[in-house]
Amino acid sequence: MCGTACSGGGQGRPNMKPVYPKAGSYPEFARLVDRENAQVDRRLFSDEAIYQAELQQIFARAWLFLAHESQIPNAGDFLRTSMGEDDVIVVRQRDGSVRAFLNSCPHRGNRVCMVDKGAKSRGFICNYHGWSFGIDGRLRGTDGKVYDTDTAFEKAQITLTPVAQIDSYKGLIFATFDLAAPSLADFLGPFTFYLDVMLDNDEGGTEFVGGAIRSHIDCNWKFPAENFVGDILHAFWSHQSGAKAILGGGVDLGSRYDELAFQASVYGHGFETNLDKVGNTRTLGYPELVDYVFDLSEKAEKRLGSIRARAIGAISSCTVFPNFSFLPGQNTFRVWHPRGPGKIELVVWTLVNRNAPEHIKELYRKGVMMTFSPGGIFEMDDGENWEYSTRVNQGFVTRQQPLHYGLGIDSADPDRELPGHIHKGSLNDANQRLFYTRWSEFMESDNWTDLQNGVTAPPQKNAQAAE
Amino acid sequence: MLDVLEISKAFDDVDRAVDPGTERAIERWLHREARLLDGERYQEWLETCIDADIHYWMPDMETRRRDDPRGTYAYGEAAYFDDRLNELSVRVRRYNEPSAWADNPATRHAHLISNIEVNATDDPDLFAVFSAFTNVRNRNEADQDIIHGRREDVLRRGADGFRLVRRRVFIVQNILLSKNLNTFF
Repeated sequence: MCGTACSGGGQGRPNMKPVYPKAGSYPEFARLVDRENAQVDRRLFSDEAIYQAELQQIFARAWLFLAHESQIPNAGDFLRTSMGEDDVIVVRQRDGSVRAFLNSCPHRGNRVCMVDKGAKSRGFICNYHGWSFGIDGRLRGTDGKVYDTDTAFEKAQITLTPVAQIDSYKGLIFATFDLAAPSLADFLGPFTFYLDVMLDNDEGGTEFVGGAIRSHIDCNWKFPAENFVGDILHAFWSHQSGAKAILGGGVDLGSRYDELAFQASVYGHGFETNLDKVGNTRTLGYPELVDYVFDLSEKAEKRLGSIRARAIGAISSCTVFPNFSFLPGQNTFRVWHPRGPGKIELVVWTLVNRNAPEHIKELYRKGVMMTFSPGGIFEMDDGENWEYSTRVNQGFVTRQQPLHYGLGIDSADPDRELPGHIHKGSLNDANQRLFYTRWSEFMESDNWTDLQNGVTAPPQKNAQAAE
Repeated sequence: MLDVLEISKAFDDVDRAVDPGTERAIERWLHREARLLDGERYQEWLETCIDADIHYWMPDMETRRRDDPRGTYAYGEAAYFDDRLNELSVRVRRYNEPSAWADNPATRHAHLISNIEVNATDDPDLFAVFSAFTNVRNRNEADQDIIHGRREDVLRRGADGFRLVRRRVFIVQNILLSKNLNTFF
């Protein structure tokens, strides 16, 4: 159909090999993050061209969170999710591995899976012409047998488009559309030290309980991502009402923890904690959970050491770049899927230790519902902040004004023996500055060598390279 | 426990009419409750409409194949509300705080209740009540959220009138098309 103009064409027949997009370089966008002066240009939150560049540079390259292993335990178990704006099916294979495919029929493009989730499926059939795919993504058959007599039809080469790479870290499944991306382990780097606070504080590992809640918020995806990467500052003001309702008083970090609190950043992933043991867990409102976390914290010292054991239920938050976040202690895990520059789809899950008693799992399910679901007493007050931080930039003059990311500029703590860029205190914009620095590295770099060796790379790694 | 009080169970396909006086009284009760919620009179709602044994449940709705035995929702899985009196009271305490920013300035509410069917149960003081609703919230200049759905209530008749002892709320949305739920249904 496209004659000789198509490179790598199939000699007059469709060439159905998967196409993985190539990265470009957008230095003019990268410069909108002014690291020198700790300010960010508001076009990051409103500009359609920048948003399209994000889909190409970030969401088509970074490892993105897909699912927890526990959501699809058996062969044929599947769920639908997104990578950026791309609709994706995640499905457990007969050999126990997990594969993920674009949810789009190679024939006319229609979705082949219309549901959120399902169990023990044998495959996916497109509603349009009946093309039928196995859980391995391969075309099994077509309706009406017309193709069976068409000798030119090369059924064997037709599959749902698989992701380029898929892997998991301690129960969390991630994938990327970039064949050249480094391994998931390299993408996370030493940040796994902090992920283990939640993923490896108990020998039995973790699971998601109670399914997912989805909602739309009319905000740019980076506002919630930066909020969880290191903005505990907002909790005092935004969440005063929720804290008073559940605790009888405002949010209190406790001054005796000032010396312990820190922010850590690796490749733009950020973790901040107050190390106060149970500050986050207390806000779920169930004393049994606080007891459980105190005990867990003591037992986990052997596995994690004393610092991380204190972080399990502490006032704290985390974002894995670009859009996967969680709150230790409150056990809400979530993805902020981009839906245009001014909209997200938020998906929220609850994580528990597999070995936790059933009544503890049930209290976490209810506790997350009461706090960090759309009707929860904390999440209730977040959405409007992010919506108006986004929407005001419709104003032509408004969006020329810089945004201030200058809290804690001189707070670097290079001597503290923890992985990543460490800053003193949790009330700090440090992780957010490094999140946007990582964003600008993705905009600028068209290759992973540069991406993994920039400013956001863990300083310990840079020190090794210099030696 | 009577089946009608079991939160995970739908009412049987009931058609047990009550006397017109009781039916009228329960309709008046539902309309008064909606008026209290429109006026954000949450404390009064809690104190005059809600039974001490309340179980108030609004599950998350999933899109599943018709042949999926799990169905659209399941008790014990994700829910917007799965509240007893303790949880409802916590939510009301937040509304009562002046720093509840998502409610300050105030949201304008309209709770429209229709399709009311009042049924008798095996307990003469318990009534199984179906209704449908349109819940409209509008705030600031032009932020508007509209949610439609159905409710299955059990009302208990006591010395001081009727009280809500069980409510199942089923909305028609899969992805919640709102940034929050600063209301009751």
